[in-house]
Amino acid sequence: MALVETRDLVKNYVLGGETVRAVDGVSLSIERGEYVAIMGASGSGKSTFMNMIGCLDVPTSGEVRIDGIATQDRDGDALAELRNQKIGFIFQQFNLLARTTALDNVAVPLIYAGLGSEDRRAKARAKLEEMGLGDRLDHSPAKLSGGQQQRVAIARALVTDPVILLADEPTGALDSKTSEDIMEIFETLNDQGITIIVVTHEAEIADHAKRRIEFRDGKVIEDMLVAHRRIVNA
Amino acid sequence: MNGNFGQKFSAWIVNVAIAMTALRTNLMRSILTTLGVMIGVFAVTLAVAVGSGAQVSVMQSINALGSNMALIFPQPDSEGGRSTFDRGRLTMRDANAIKKQISGITDIAPQLRTSIQLVVAGRNASTSAIGATPGYGKVANAAAASGRFISEADVRSAARVVVLGPSVAKKLFGDYDPVGETVRINRAPFNVIGVMESKGSSFGNDNDDIAIMPITTTRQRFTGDSLSGPDDLQMLFVGFEDGVSLPTAKREITKLLRERYRVRGKDINPFTIRTTEEFMKESAQVTGIFQIVLVAIASISLLVGGIGIMNIMLVSVTERTREIGLRMALGAKRSDIRNQFLVEAAVLCVIGGAIGLTLAIAAGTALTIYADFPVPIGIGVGIGAIVFSAVIGLLFGGYPAIRASRLSPIEALRSE
Repeated sequence: MALVETRDLVKNYVLGGETVRAVDGVSLSIERGEYVAIMGASGSGKSTFMNMIGCLDVPTSGEVRIDGIATQDRDGDALAELRNQKIGFIFQQFNLLARTTALDNVAVPLIYAGLGSEDRRAKARAKLEEMGLGDRLDHSPAKLSGGQQQRVAIARALVTDPVILLADEPTGALDSKTSEDIMEIFETLNDQGITIIVVTHEAEIADHAKRRIEFRDGKVIEDMLVAHRRIVNA
Repeated sequence: MNGNFGQKFSAWIVNVAIAMTALRTNLMRSILTTLGVMIGVFAVTLAVAVGSGAQVSVMQSINALGSNMALIFPQPDSEGGRSTFDRGRLTMRDANAIKKQISGITDIAPQLRTSIQLVVAGRNASTSAIGATPGYGKVANAAAASGRFISEADVRSAARVVVLGPSVAKKLFGDYDPVGETVRINRAPFNVIGVMESKGSSFGNDNDDIAIMPITTTRQRFTGDSLSGPDDLQMLFVGFEDGVSLPTAKREITKLLRERYRVRGKDINPFTIRTTEEFMKESAQVTGIFQIVLVAIASISLLVGGIGIMNIMLVSVTERTREIGLRMALGAKRSDIRNQFLVEAAVLCVIGGAIGLTLAIAAGTALTIYADFPVPIGIGVGIGAIVFSAVIGLLFGGYPAIRASRLSPIEALRSE
C-alpha cells in the first residue's frame, strides 16, 4: 500500500469570476521511504498539490489517501488529527511563533497531541538536541540565525514522529551554505526511513531527491527516478 | 479517564499560558481593553452594593422604630367609599380597648407629638417631643442609657420630667451626664430623669434628636388646645409578641375600631392602621426598584466594555491569522483554536473584573466610612463579579473565537 496516493485529483480556484484549474487530474502514488522533489514554475500547481496531500486544502474532486486513510471522508477535526500524527510540515518562512522559545515552539504540536507538560518538554528537548540545538533551547526565533530557525522548524515537524515530512521551499529563505546543511539533514532523515516530499523550483535542491515529479499547468509532465547524487559520486 | 481529565486540564493551562503571552505582547492594548471591563464591573458591583445598602438602611430604620408592631393614627383611611367622618378619631379609650380585647399584644404606646424648645444655661435646642407612657419603651425598643424612663407615676401626676435623646443631651450638656439637671421647656422647668440609648441615624435622619415626656404632661402643657377630645391620641403603637400574624392582628383591630365608631359597610374608617411588615414590604419593593435601575444604568458601561473586548479580539484574530493557520497545520482542532481565543478574552475580562471589584470594595468602604451609608460587598457579590466578568469574556469573545476557528488552514497560513 502506497503511503500517499492521489487519484484524479482536481483543484479549481475562482479568481475574478474565472475558474482556474490549479491541479488538473493528478494520479500519483508515493511509497514509504521515498524522497520526492516536486518541481515546477510558480503557478504550475505544485504547491496546491502539496497542500492537498498535507490535508491543509480540500480537493475539488478526486481522492487523497494518506497511509491508507481516505481524506475526503473526514471532517476538519479528523484531518487536524491526521496532520498532527502523520505529517510534519516545513515552511519557507519557518513559521515559528515569535517571542516563544525554541523549546516551546517545538512543543506546540504535542499540545494538540494531548501530551502533558513534562512529556512535551522532554520530547521537544530531545528533538532539538538531535538537531544540534541543545544549547539554544531558551532562545526565541529573533535570537537565532536562519539556519538555526529552520532546524527548530524541522525539530517541530519531527517531534510527533510523523511518517511524512512535507517541505515547501525549505531553503527559499536561506543562503546556499545553510541550504546544503538543511539538505544533509533531510538525507539523514530519509536514510532513517522518513518519507520526504519537497516542493522546490531549485534544481540543486531537487538533485538531493530520489524521485522527481515535474508539474506544468496543473498536470504532471515528468515523473522519474533519479540517480542519487551520492550514488553518482561513489 | 483520570488521564483524559489531566490532558484536558493541561490543555487549558496551555491556553492560559498562550493567552498571557499574547496579552503581554500587546501590553498597552490589553490594559486599555481591560479598562472598559474594569469600569463596567466597578460600576455594576457598586450599584448592587449601594442597592443592598439602601435596603439594609431602610430595614435598620424600620427596626429602630420597633419590630412587629402596628401603628394606628387618627387619619381617615384614604381607601374605601363614603366618609361619615370629617376628621380622624383615636382615643385613649380605644387604645385600652385594643389592649384588652386583642390577643398577642406585648404592650401599647399611645402618643402625642409636638415640637419643643429646651433651654439650659444659655444653651438651647429645639426638637420633637413624644408624649408617651412607659409602654413606649417596650414597644419601640427604647430604653434609658442612664437615669430612667418615664413611669406610671409620672404619667398619673403629669410630672414635669423629660428623657432626652443622646443628640439633644449632647447639644445642651456636652459630655456631662444631665440626669438630675433641670431644663426649661417652653419656659417651664423640667427635671431630666434619663438619657435614651442611641438609635443612630437612618437616611440622614437623626433618631436621637428627640425628647420623651409623660403623655399627660404633653396634653396639659402643649397639645391640649389643638385636640378635639380630652383623651385624643395622635399616634398609637401596638407591639406584638413574636410569631403573631400582623395581617390577622390588623384585621382584628380594624374590626374592633369599626364597631367602636359604628362604621358600616363600605364607609371609610376614621383611622389608619399600618404594620411594620407592610413598611418592610413596601420599602423592599422601592429599594428593589432603586437597585434594578442602578444596576441597569451601570450595566451599560459593562456592555460597552464587552464590546471593547469583542473589538480587540477581532483585531487579535486578524493579526494572528497566520499563527492560527500554523497551529491548524500542526494539528490544532477547531475547538483548540476557539478555546485559545475564548481563554484570552476570559483572562482579559477576569483581570479587569478583579481590578474593578477591588476598586468597588475600596469605594464602598470609603462610602461607609465617610458617608455613613452601608455598602456591603460580600463574598457572594465578589465571586459573582468575577464569574460575571468571565461570562462577559466568553460572551463577547465568543464571536471572534468562533470566527478564528472557522478559518481554512491553508488560507490562514497564506495570509500576511
